[in-house]
Amino acid sequence: MPAIAHPDRNFKYWLISPAIFLLLLIGLFPLIFSLVVSFMRISMLETDRSFAGPVNFVQLFHDARLWQSLAHTALIIVIALPVELLLGLAMAYLFLDTMPGRQILISLLVLPTIISPIVAGATWRLLFDNRYGPINQILGWFAGHPVAALWTVNPRLVYPAIIFCEIWQWTPFMFLILLAALSNVDRSLTEAAEIDGARFWRSFRYIVLPAIWPVMSIAILIRGLDLFRIFDIIWALTAGGPGTMTETISVYAYVQGFQQFETSYMAAIAFLVIALLTVIVTFAVRRMGLAK
Amino acid sequence: MTTIPFYRRKETKLVLRYVIALALVVIFVFPIYWLFAISFKTPGEIFAFPPVWYPKSIQFNNYAVLFKDGDAKTVGNSLVLASLSTVFAMILGTIAAYSLVRFKTGGENLALWIISQRMIPPVAIVFPVFLLYVWLSWVDTYIGLIILYTSFSLPYVIWMMRGYIEDIPLELEESALIDGCSRREVLWKVVFPMVRAGLFATAVFTFVFSWNDFLFALVLTRTEVATYTVQVTHYFGGQSNFWSKIAAMSVLGTIPVFITVATLQRFLVRGISMGAVKG
Amino acid sequence: MSDLKITGLHKHYGAFHAVKGIDLEVPSGELTVLVGPSGCGKSTLLRTIAGLEEASAGTIEIGGKNVTWARPRDRDIAMVFQNYALYPYLNVHENIAFGLRARKVASDEADKRVKRAAEMLGIAQLLRRFPRELSGGQRQRVAIGRAIVRDALLFLFDEPLSNLDAQLRDDMRVEIKRLHQELGRTMIYVTHDQIEAMTLADRIALLREGRIEQLGAPLDLFERPATRFVAGFLGSPKMNFLPAIIESGDVILRDGTKLTLPPGRKAPNGQAVILGLRPQHIAKAGMGTAPGHVQLPSTIELVQPTGSRVQVSMPLGGSSITAEFAAHEVTAPGEQVRIDIDMIRAVLIDPQTDEVI
Ligand SMILES: Nc1ncnc2c1ncn2[C@@H]1O[C@H](COP(=O)(O)OP(=O)(O)O)[C@@H](O)[C@H]1O
Ligand SMILES: [Mg+2]
Repeated sequence: MPAIAHPDRNFKYWLISPAIFLLLLIGLFPLIFSLVVSFMRISMLETDRSFAGPVNFVQLFHDARLWQSLAHTALIIVIALPVELLLGLAMAYLFLDTMPGRQILISLLVLPTIISPIVAGATWRLLFDNRYGPINQILGWFAGHPVAALWTVNPRLVYPAIIFCEIWQWTPFMFLILLAALSNVDRSLTEAAEIDGARFWRSFRYIVLPAIWPVMSIAILIRGLDLFRIFDIIWALTAGGPGTMTETISVYAYVQGFQQFETSYMAAIAFLVIALLTVIVTFAVRRMGLAK
Repeated sequence: MTTIPFYRRKETKLVLRYVIALALVVIFVFPIYWLFAISFKTPGEIFAFPPVWYPKSIQFNNYAVLFKDGDAKTVGNSLVLASLSTVFAMILGTIAAYSLVRFKTGGENLALWIISQRMIPPVAIVFPVFLLYVWLSWVDTYIGLIILYTSFSLPYVIWMMRGYIEDIPLELEESALIDGCSRREVLWKVVFPMVRAGLFATAVFTFVFSWNDFLFALVLTRTEVATYTVQVTHYFGGQSNFWSKIAAMSVLGTIPVFITVATLQRFLVRGISMGAVKG
Repeated sequence: MSDLKITGLHKHYGAFHAVKGIDLEVPSGELTVLVGPSGCGKSTLLRTIAGLEEASAGTIEIGGKNVTWARPRDRDIAMVFQNYALYPYLNVHENIAFGLRARKVASDEADKRVKRAAEMLGIAQLLRRFPRELSGGQRQRVAIGRAIVRDALLFLFDEPLSNLDAQLRDDMRVEIKRLHQELGRTMIYVTHDQIEAMTLADRIALLREGRIEQLGAPLDLFERPATRFVAGFLGSPKMNFLPAIIESGDVILRDGTKLTLPPGRKAPNGQAVILGLRPQHIAKAGMGTAPGHVQLPSTIELVQPTGSRVQVSMPLGGSSITAEFAAHEVTAPGEQVRIDIDMIRAVLIDPQTDEVI
């Protein structure tokens, strides 16, 4: 496509400069600032501001709580992401064909995704209440005796609680995207396969999946990134507790920076996170064939 | 008689699908129902054991308390921050996307850099932003948070609008240039009208992102511009005393999003699929 | 007085040299057609005149002003695009008035002009419709309407008819010709279709690989092509080219067939040439031979009726040639005929330079 000639010379720079300025101000500048701070000894509780070298980065490797928080994050990703994907896909198939009131049902299903994660967490906090919440009540019907599970406190139950909430909120997101992708798959291809006697699995594997993969891989990437920085839901449900049992990397960084006031150390954590993300995303983009 | 079973199978399949679909909708909507229900319950109903499944009567006391205490103002704050930052992000993002598409400004690298800005986890920059804002005296001010949300939305807006702008036939703009428009007039009179649907779809998501933010609001607001998400967490305690407030405040903060999404729904499906397809 | 004057115009796209030194002067009120095969640089030239592309070298003057570096809107031009370029969110009236509003023409004056243009183009009843509610031909009329209300000094058309079906294209061609006569404006019209070029043009500039191969009135180019390329490009069916040699005023084909040149026709003795014969100048022989004509026997190999005319292929001088007969003159392949070749209008080409001798 030919670019328009005679651009009123600087017009194109005028158009883009406000956006660039803001991105530099809120994006790049803080990053550079963080980098500098991470090599210093700043902590709000002390007055020492000297250059510290890589001390903070060395400390990262000895910080068991940090690695635990990464493990917690990974645990949530590894369970929630596949469930959201598969459940979303199954639901997309369910709603692919027409049915009475389809549009309304879809709209209702999407509601969890558009509410704030904080509100989602708060809602599930209410649902999970051991005495006045409906979940234990319903479980009691099935169990045949009253259930008084402490979902947000009992170490065995906190992860299921968090993951339930997470799946409830974000499966509809997967569902919507996959529904759009599935609707765009050329029907004549799957029908031809059906006539040729291909079973569902074969036609899915060789026709549908390749067709929806570009969209699906991006959805996985987006959700994966969001899960990696999961904060709000946990903050609302458990605030990282009991103890530090459900502390994810974002929660831990926040605690270090804003509750322990370890400024420099928090900056170092931030850089670890960015480095990890860069590696993961680069790897994922390669593996999923996203690099166009 | 092989044709009849085949036909029947489709019908029973529809019934089965429908039953599953309805069950799913009930499961996914129930938590939201519960939230709304609590917000209308009396304290007696909230703390009943076993739980009451629906309030006996609709009463607005829980909301009245929020308005009386002035807590409801935080919803207004959210509204101001989210809508103004959406407007700014849409304008700045669209003209930036136009520059990227039409003039290849900065080449492919600039576009990639802009996208990569979206990958930075908020927690990685929230602290330096906080220090910057302290230095600028922007903490707990409208301007500070509007600028923050605007710039956080920009990569998304630019990425989405790029796709829509690429679809505008070049001749439309060239024709306008010949007919007597300046570059700026081409933007207002051709580009913006041509991407109207995309503007709406993108704006809804931008609005929802900013509306739902918690972390930045938690760090960068105090009392003046505290958002409803922060306010909701103020009611968390070991005790359950604030249940009615949690529920009522959550509902107040949820209704504007529902309204926005419902109003602009026809733009959304296209927006989602376009965005996903275009990446 | 000329409305457009181009001197030494070059256009590079990176390493690619699209326009290689064009000099062109277009007299006021004339319709000049830029014609040539696809990719020869017609659009590039037109877009450079419009200011949509920047010239790499050379100057462009419109209405006596040097506009080489001017913005499109300051050039006093109007342009019609191949795919109409109508604004889908504006109705027909607003589309036509778009340029007037951009130029701050008073609204009642604009309305008057829109109405006049719409009547001229027969789309007055469509003014409230939106582009998606129009057929291809109607859209093209709106696009033309948008250009003519502008009352510009110079009108540019870039293949305006090539998205239309054959029937509509013929109608619109007549329409454009009529508009040109009524408006008396200077127009530059780009097409790859030589029939469009022949029928519309006051003058044709035939482009080839970024250069003007020949410039002149349509019949001039048809009758007196300067090069083999021009001779081959214009005319349908294509001109027949036969390798030959000149011997004492006669053209000797490869198989020894002798075609006598008309008296007075100069030809370099003993030189190899290419003989160009238009299918229209090869007829079925009637009574007697006109001066300057040659008659020969041949056998019809292939017959392609096109309505009132029929294209026949037959061997001549060791190659196969195409001729155009009246439809009733041919029965079937295999028929023995005597053909009559008009050697006065035959073209002799120097195979070394491809130039017409
Ligand atoms: N923006 C561009 N960048 C590079 N090459 C171009 C561009 N526009 C046209 N060209 C090339 O210039 C030549 C002439 O193009 P054009 O003027 O469009 O031909 P046409 O005579 O068919 O209108 C073509 O070979 C084309 O590929
Ligand atoms: Mg062209």
